[in-house]
Amino acid sequence: MGAKRPVLHRQVADRLWFCVWLPQLPLEANRSSEAATAIVEEQHGIHRILLADAEASAAGVMPGQAANAALALLPTLQLEERSLLREQQALEGLASWLERFSSFISIADHDVLVLEIAGSVRLFGGLQELRQRMSKGLRELGLTAALAIAPTPLAATWMARAGRRACIRDDTNLGAALRKLPLFCMDWPAGLCEALTGMGVTTVGDCLRLPREGFTRRFGAEYLLQLDRALGHLPDPRNSWRAPERFCVDYEMTEEQTDRKLLLNICRELLLSHEQFLLARQLGTQRVCFSFFHLKGPATELRLGCARAERSAGRWLELLGIRFEQLVLPGPVIAVRLRSGMAQPLQAESGALSFHGKPGATAPRFSITQLAERLIARIGDQSVQAASMVAEHRPDYAWRSQSLLADWSGTTLDTPEQSAQRPLWMLPEPALLPADSGYPVHQGCRLRLIDGPERLETGWWDEDGISRDYYTAAGTDGRRLWVFRNRNRTSSWYLHGYFG
Amino acid sequence: MAGRYAELHALSNFTFLRGASHPEELVKTAAELGYEALAITDECSMSGVVRAHTAAKECGLKKLIIGSELRLRSGRKLVALARNKAGYASLCRLVTNARRAAEKGSYELARLDFEEGLSGCLVLWVPDRQLTLDVEDHWLRETFRDRLWIAVELLADGRQREQMQRLREEGRRLKLPLVASGDVHMHCRARRIVQDAVTAIRHGTTVDNAGFALYPNGERHLRPLDVLQRVYPEDLLAETVCIAASIDFSLDELRYEYPNEVVPEGETPATYLRRLTEEGMRRRWPHGIPQKVIRLIEHELKLIAELRYEQYFLTVYDIVAYARSQDILCQGRGSAANSAVCFCLGITEVDPARMEMLVERFISKERNEPPDIDVDFEHERREEVIQYIYAKYGRERAALAATVITYRPRSALRDMGKVLGLSDLQVGRLSRSMQWWDGQSVDDSRILEAGLSPDSPVIKRLLYLVRELIGFPRHLSQHVGGFVISDAPLYELVPVENATMPERTVIQWEKNDLEDLGLLKVDVLGLGMLTAIRRSFDLIRDFDGREYTLATVPAEDPQVYDMICDGDTMGVFQIESRAQMTMLPRLRPRCYYDLVIEVAIIRPGPIQGDMVHPYLRRRNGEEAVDYPSEAVKGVLQRTLGVPIFQEQVMQLAIVAAGFTPGEADRLRRAMAAWKRRGGLGHFEDKLINGMRERGYDETFARQIFQQILGFGEYGFPESHSASFALLVYVSSWLKCHEPAAFTCALLNSQPMGFYSASQLVQDAQRHGVAIQPVDINHSGWDCSLEADEAGAATLRLGLRMVKGLSENAGQRIVVERTGGYTQVQALLERAGLDRRELGALASSGALRPLSGDRHRARWAVAGAEKPMPLFPSMARYEPAPLLPKPTEGQNIVADYRSTGLTLERHPMCLLRRHLDRYCYAQARTLPVLGNGHAVNVAGLVITKQRPGTASGVIFVTLEDETGQINLVLWKQIAEQYRAELLNARLLGVAGELQIEGQVIHVVAQRLFDHSNLLGDLSVRSRDFR
Repeated sequence: MGAKRPVLHRQVADRLWFCVWLPQLPLEANRSSEAATAIVEEQHGIHRILLADAEASAAGVMPGQAANAALALLPTLQLEERSLLREQQALEGLASWLERFSSFISIADHDVLVLEIAGSVRLFGGLQELRQRMSKGLRELGLTAALAIAPTPLAATWMARAGRRACIRDDTNLGAALRKLPLFCMDWPAGLCEALTGMGVTTVGDCLRLPREGFTRRFGAEYLLQLDRALGHLPDPRNSWRAPERFCVDYEMTEEQTDRKLLLNICRELLLSHEQFLLARQLGTQRVCFSFFHLKGPATELRLGCARAERSAGRWLELLGIRFEQLVLPGPVIAVRLRSGMAQPLQAESGALSFHGKPGATAPRFSITQLAERLIARIGDQSVQAASMVAEHRPDYAWRSQSLLADWSGTTLDTPEQSAQRPLWMLPEPALLPADSGYPVHQGCRLRLIDGPERLETGWWDEDGISRDYYTAAGTDGRRLWVFRNRNRTSSWYLHGYFG
Repeated sequence: MAGRYAELHALSNFTFLRGASHPEELVKTAAELGYEALAITDECSMSGVVRAHTAAKECGLKKLIIGSELRLRSGRKLVALARNKAGYASLCRLVTNARRAAEKGSYELARLDFEEGLSGCLVLWVPDRQLTLDVEDHWLRETFRDRLWIAVELLADGRQREQMQRLREEGRRLKLPLVASGDVHMHCRARRIVQDAVTAIRHGTTVDNAGFALYPNGERHLRPLDVLQRVYPEDLLAETVCIAASIDFSLDELRYEYPNEVVPEGETPATYLRRLTEEGMRRRWPHGIPQKVIRLIEHELKLIAELRYEQYFLTVYDIVAYARSQDILCQGRGSAANSAVCFCLGITEVDPARMEMLVERFISKERNEPPDIDVDFEHERREEVIQYIYAKYGRERAALAATVITYRPRSALRDMGKVLGLSDLQVGRLSRSMQWWDGQSVDDSRILEAGLSPDSPVIKRLLYLVRELIGFPRHLSQHVGGFVISDAPLYELVPVENATMPERTVIQWEKNDLEDLGLLKVDVLGLGMLTAIRRSFDLIRDFDGREYTLATVPAEDPQVYDMICDGDTMGVFQIESRAQMTMLPRLRPRCYYDLVIEVAIIRPGPIQGDMVHPYLRRRNGEEAVDYPSEAVKGVLQRTLGVPIFQEQVMQLAIVAAGFTPGEADRLRRAMAAWKRRGGLGHFEDKLINGMRERGYDETFARQIFQQILGFGEYGFPESHSASFALLVYVSSWLKCHEPAAFTCALLNSQPMGFYSASQLVQDAQRHGVAIQPVDINHSGWDCSLEADEAGAATLRLGLRMVKGLSENAGQRIVVERTGGYTQVQALLERAGLDRRELGALASSGALRPLSGDRHRARWAVAGAEKPMPLFPSMARYEPAPLLPKPTEGQNIVADYRSTGLTLERHPMCLLRRHLDRYCYAQARTLPVLGNGHAVNVAGLVITKQRPGTASGVIFVTLEDETGQINLVLWKQIAEQYRAELLNARLLGVAGELQIEGQVIHVVAQRLFDHSNLLGDLSVRSRDFR
């Protein structure tokens, strides 16, 4: 770019950047099977192909195609919805693996990592060696990558995107190498690339040949600056990436221990530092896991759960106390580890719910949450369930249970509109009743049908469709029963519940 | 003995997504069950009543009651039943008001709307499930007085006893009588599954999540009398019969009055029509009117007078006269349009003398069907005509007919897939692999192909539901142009509601409903070819002053027919499709009536009915023409014994099988619908037996029936064909004698027809028309004609060809051009273009005179800046950029991208050398190779067509630098090369040459996708199904 150059900051010479570009990341992070796969993304209500694997491409599946068009080409094609989260996770996973090669890693784009390696080259026995080790590792991780090395991070990125296996150590060669690169490697907005291509500008070199002032006036200074940074005419500071934090602390003992009291104390200490850790970050967690290591055999694990995010060591200790009593340790313990679950923002504790809203009722000793947690800690997660009403005509489906530790935020407990009475006590399975001249018989006496029928014909959409006439029946003892008869098949009577 | 009952509350599936049975099914079932009466009471709608009415007559239902379920804003639910004609009118008016006050598809009712008390209607009050009767009791009683009942609907919800008791008490308290009713949503219990499914659609959820939105059981069907007797007390059942007996109204009573203002004061419709006709006669035959014509017209006028159709003809005349006064080209077609009277009135330009047709074919007293006149207008100016009609008759008296949009396999699959919880992708897969599903059965392999198991219960349920749902009405849409115009406000005849388009209203009935009740409509349609013809005439006039009209284009020009016989018809109306082009050299039309046949015969109907080849053989004298009887000869003689027109099929049914004209008309409509609904069975027996009884042998009878089946919904009426043939002739004449003007007009009327601008321009070039590029200093907005040195017409492409340039901007360029533009900056300042519009111009090459090639033009445009107010047009010095010159290839690509065509060499010229090793032959060289010759060809893919008639065969048209190549792909090859077929823009083919006369095909055996050679060239194939 012609005559007027900015003042040179020659601080790039001692830096060397290694770029890892993952062109297939959406495919590799999202695929779930070996079969021919394409990743789709929704655009304006239509699923379009973002990327197709080799097998799918061979069948003619191409990026930009509508999903249906791709299926027409290859009916067995596996379509996976793109998940940016999964890609981000894969990229971060790779970043943390790359930490062995460099102390400075930066996420440059959703599919690009750059590493500063000037310092580590020697450590790994030269660039060639470093590159080979990295390639091998990437292969093992199942990631397709294009690698390039250059004195500036942008130059390395552009080289990698252009598919040049370049290794430029010296910035005197940098300009010449960059000039040959095609426009697309800069990943400029499509509109800009199109405008430039329309003027016959197709390489980085073509861009550099344009009058600087004219370029800025037409396309803005930002892209000119990028060119300057790539060439090393301007500094290009990057953010360093750090792995997210999670509490995981081991307490190692000098000798094996069997004293449970001592172990509990160790746990307490771990929970206290856990509390400190979370406190410093204003976070809490819903789950923690203790691992008790033995010299022989696998570690014994103890998981604790809380109905809401919690950090108080006292609370966790309370829950631990309940479970620790029952914990069977197959042998002496040599180390204890505390790992905490996903950290979440802490919710403020709402006031204790009272069981009876009436004034004068005695205040409950526990909040419902506490009660549930204690119950779960004592008899296990699966044994404590909450019942909720479900809008369904079929009596057997009209309620469901769900774990108390599940996320309840989306659940509402509104009472659905009921057209007819339902018995309070429902049998888990309807019980066959004998019949006497067409009337049901219960405990030896013929029942009187006092109300009904309530006809329920529904549920055809699954395997449990019903077609029944329900009646309220009265026995001689005055007990009221809920009975039904199937409409289509046999006319046997069944008992389904008791009123009061 | 079972008691008597009349169902007073029944919804059909015209209460969209609630009712789960067709009105016909409800009526038929009610008749079978022996109901005294059935009321069709769709929610705030009369859309289903005509069907019910027709069905009731057919199956002998004792009484059909017309009513409507209405829900007030307060939630109160009423059912209003029309007791007499006045009641029907007031109900229609109420429905109209409620619908017009709300968004399309919904309605809005409040107490105020009932101020007039719905006189002439009986009202059932349907208490809600909580059985609350509240403050509105008083209002209801005051408003409806002795016409109000409490409806008791016992539906086995377990609280029947309580409900009965409560309502008895309320009835006593309020002094209101009780009556039984069934809240019917379906004709039989089995439909509850469909009812659940449509309910889930309505709530936008899946069936298993729909919960209490679903009904607990299927009691809402037409229950047998003995069941009803067990459910309801006797007095409530008796009350239904009482109410039904007090109702005395049938849709047959509706009378429709034509608008009166079409007749000037002091004249009667008859005298006025006669006066206009006689004036027209003198204009049409200035040198004396032939005796034959006079007799014909007298005959027609007599017939019109007997049927009292004068005002209908006058209404159409008025519309056409308006169009003519505005210079809007139009032409009528349809059963009455080709009468001599219409020719005299100027409704059509087809001279009946030229056709030698008998007019009885078009209007018939016996058939007793309303005359049908469709008028085509220039498509871009149709709106003016519609606005004229609204302005003249007012929105109260003119409205569009509705079109009932029904579920098709694809939409049914999509909605049912959703309610069963399938994912969008699964449903998409399924509907793709069922493209050719006929709605009845489906191959397991297709389902497997979609990655689903045919044995899965979900799929079985899905297919069951889809089959049931196909044909269900989904919503009302507006008919393309069918206007109903009446003397009295329309809402007394039928409710009027809002259409999607703002300022449009539609009635709640569709075309068939109108026909069933004998109401008239005028179709105001748009036709692109009329626009193109009008523009051709204008261009010729402006170029050298010659004036033409549809009537004055020289008739029966042999040169024109020579051109048609060569299949050289690209751009011509109707006969330009690939199928038509290949048929023309075989049919060799030589006169006007040949064109009438041509238009009708190359259609899916006659092709599937196997009428084309017999006709061809007979026309070429290869097969004897014989008729089983004189009567049949009378019907089929003009088409050499082969039924080609819809009218012929109906006439055959009448003369050979003894159908009454009314039955023949029902046959016609059944033909149109049988593919979707079936139901030709009883016509089959009647037709074949009728023909046998009249001495025709069974083979002939079967053959005729097969032809009827083949006709299906595609049968084309001669009355339409006759009018279309005139446009075929006129457009052919223009193409033959005025190719520059014709191409220019076609380009200005795009999009229309089968071919792209590129193909039309290449065709014109092959016919010797010189084409000039888009130029900022010479092009108008439209393409135009310029004289070359010799004074001949050349075609200058207009700014409209430039993609991304709005008409507004284009017009500004032209208006501000005085003196021409010399700088890009001037465009910005004088024509006020923005950067994007300038970019579009730069890409099109139109800026060549200002800044040179495209690359430089784009650089210049990108640097242009809005002038600052204080420093107008301050010239800015800029160093010239170092930009490469675009290559020829780049120019071609840019041409295609911006204007869809190039005036440079054809892309294939540049690519030939890359394709050397394949030895591709040029299109031009194919005719000299022999039939059966193995040949390789290559070209741009310009059209792909999968005719519904040709059992999986695909036609592809390629274009190389010397012309077009027609490919035939058999199904197996098409499957094998699916990817190439779907993706290739540049396609290479190895195949076999098939030459039959002038028709040349390449039957493909192998395909090669060479699209990568094209780079960015954007050639869009036009795909037809």
